[in-house]
Amino acid sequence: MSEQTISIAQTESQRQAFARQRAAIDASARWPVLGFFTGSVVWLLIGTVLALLASIKLHSPEFLDGPSWLTFGRIRPAHLNTVAYGWASQAGIGVTLWSMARLSRTELRYPRLLMFAVLLWNIGMLVGTIGILAGEGTSIEWLEFPAFAPPFFALAFAIVTVSTMVTFSNRREPHVYVTQWYLIGAVFWFPWLYTAANLLVIYAPVSGVSQASINWWYAHNVLGLWMTPIGVGSTYYLLPKVLGRPIYSYQLSLLGFWSLALFYNWAGVHHLIGGPIPAWLITLSIVGSVMMLIPVITVAINHHMTVLGSFRQLRYSPTLRFIVFGAMSYSAVSIQGSLQSLRTINEVTHFTHYTVAHAHMGAYAFFTMIMFGSIYYIVPRLTGWEWASGGLISFHFWSTSVGVLVYFIALTFGGWYQGLDLNRADVPFMTIVRNTLPYLQIRSWAGMLMAAGHLAFAALFAMNLLHFGKQRSGPTLFFDRPDAATLTVIGDAPGRTV
Amino acid sequence: MTLAYIVIFASFVLFAVSVVFALGWAMSHGQMQNFQRGATAIFDPDEPLGTRTDSFPGSAANVVSPPERSHE
Amino acid sequence: MNQGPTIFLGVFLTFASAWLGLVVAPYVQLEAQRSQNAAKVDAPPETPMEGLPAQGRQVYRANGCVYCHSQQIRPENFGSDIARGWGPRRTVAQDYVGERPVMLGTMRTGPDLANIGTRQTSAAWHHLHLYNSRITSPGSIMPRFTFLYEQHQVVGQRSSAALTFPPEWDVKPGYEVVPTNEAKALVAYLLAMDRSRPLEEPGP
Repeated sequence: MSEQTISIAQTESQRQAFARQRAAIDASARWPVLGFFTGSVVWLLIGTVLALLASIKLHSPEFLDGPSWLTFGRIRPAHLNTVAYGWASQAGIGVTLWSMARLSRTELRYPRLLMFAVLLWNIGMLVGTIGILAGEGTSIEWLEFPAFAPPFFALAFAIVTVSTMVTFSNRREPHVYVTQWYLIGAVFWFPWLYTAANLLVIYAPVSGVSQASINWWYAHNVLGLWMTPIGVGSTYYLLPKVLGRPIYSYQLSLLGFWSLALFYNWAGVHHLIGGPIPAWLITLSIVGSVMMLIPVITVAINHHMTVLGSFRQLRYSPTLRFIVFGAMSYSAVSIQGSLQSLRTINEVTHFTHYTVAHAHMGAYAFFTMIMFGSIYYIVPRLTGWEWASGGLISFHFWSTSVGVLVYFIALTFGGWYQGLDLNRADVPFMTIVRNTLPYLQIRSWAGMLMAAGHLAFAALFAMNLLHFGKQRSGPTLFFDRPDAATLTVIGDAPGRTV
Repeated sequence: MTLAYIVIFASFVLFAVSVVFALGWAMSHGQMQNFQRGATAIFDPDEPLGTRTDSFPGSAANVVSPPERSHE
Repeated sequence: MNQGPTIFLGVFLTFASAWLGLVVAPYVQLEAQRSQNAAKVDAPPETPMEGLPAQGRQVYRANGCVYCHSQQIRPENFGSDIARGWGPRRTVAQDYVGERPVMLGTMRTGPDLANIGTRQTSAAWHHLHLYNSRITSPGSIMPRFTFLYEQHQVVGQRSSAALTFPPEWDVKPGYEVVPTNEAKALVAYLLAMDRSRPLEEPGP
């Protein structure tokens, strides 16, 4: 054989070896990740129904208002908890597990234990949600599940953290990619937050007004140290992977992570500006909120510059559409958040629908859209089946992106005017209420558009699990589990020290 | 100061300490060197630089490379 | 070149300058001195609500009233809470001693309730308002809490607790609407909400 044919054969076998490794990793993650994704889709649908109910009840208060379990004050927290812990967190865990395994270039550890965690998590969701609707909710925002529910989540989460960290510690890839830093941060910080907040507010409540401080320290950190790292981290992996080009400035990405880690956890108490809370704590929260501009701007530069010149690709990749939308929303909502913590702005926006718009920009336009994009990328690689309909995917994208933008614009304007009027003592309260109604109605319409998108998404997901559509094809996919010998060939990279 | 504020302040301190510790680990294990290698670690021989890895179902395979771009 | 120490120095300087640069201005803005003198109410903190009002707090909690109503008064130069008559002064930590849970609230879809007990002293008004807020407050978007009330046929004498409706809202003849214990507790809680005790002047 000539030299050229030998090297071609070597390159070809290298390609196959890497493909086999990747297929093995995807196979190891299949059941746990699909388990969490299935749970997330189910609760997305439930949370969407609750969202529509809550939205309609605000401008049409007598809509379905007979029984106690349908009153707005129970539906609204049920909505928040089902979408935050049922949809967003389960999607986030699924993405975390798969991403950590892929980036570590090793199989996901403890898959059976993780399936048990799926079960625990969803049982917790069920009993917690029923608890809220039954009047057992705690009325502590983001912690409304009654005391019998959190232990399920705490145990499930411990399993997730252990699996993630053990997978990481067995990594074959010596370099710790920026996404892995974000994910380690998320699984490391969130259990601590969740346990501390539950203990200090639900199980052995601290006295008086300091409950509120713990409450909002926790609630904001769910966004900042749980959702943000997963959303931003996933973008850092999938954006370059889909485009086939590396992140614009890798150094900048690390600066972004470390500054987020340093500053984000101070920011939470900005929800209580003007309230009966010690000034030093409020000061720190404003400092943290403003300093967050550093990581936010670095992330914005990085994501934008990576995609620059390739916006055409958005036509061809579902994942890219959702992730780019989500990444842009991240920059927008974060800068908005930093501004909102400043006294002059806060004086107007606090207590209004403006805050609700901001919350949905973050949890939906940023995090949920990135989760959609990630799920579109990951699921076919786990099931081996293509998505059944490109048209439905497009419909999902347009209905949710337009829906959330309309939502955001309507409530931002409505909330701003509401705040301005609230600060003018001569404007009667009922006038302010009446003026918010058109914006609340627009929000309901936007919500229905988003709901339609969720139905399309759920249908696509179900169809993929049930193997409707085409099998995935291509030179890089293997379905039978490769034997151990082939895997170790590429695995043990030299120079890894820990 | 009530327990709540002590816990919050302690968590600020603990978080900061853990971040500094992790940063130190990263530096001493060569994570802050060779950013070129770091940024391209996610690519493989069979999913190399220049190859898109996502498309709408049923459309053509990923053969179009993004435009060349140089930086650093 | 070893980038490690450079990065570390950069991080440290950023951190330090943030602390130095941004702590001073907000501190001055937020009247740090005034709240640091630990405003006190001029009587020992009242004992936490007991009895019916305390039960009422749990009804408030169970039905999520906090999602539309706040219970905190902002300072005079920050919003118009005091100008609207929602309270004579800002609320401070002592105003919430012993409350479980503390429901400061973050939305004002409805008015603030920190001192509602001083603004609205009629139990009958509260019952009508809870039964259907549009009876007392046309244009209101508050939900109806009819499930906290019981409608039944009048047997013999009308119950003394029965709600008295304006003519256009009255229930059909021979029927009356009475509050359940939960409704009575909730109204007792609302009537007891008062955080208006004057503060001590800050010491010299």
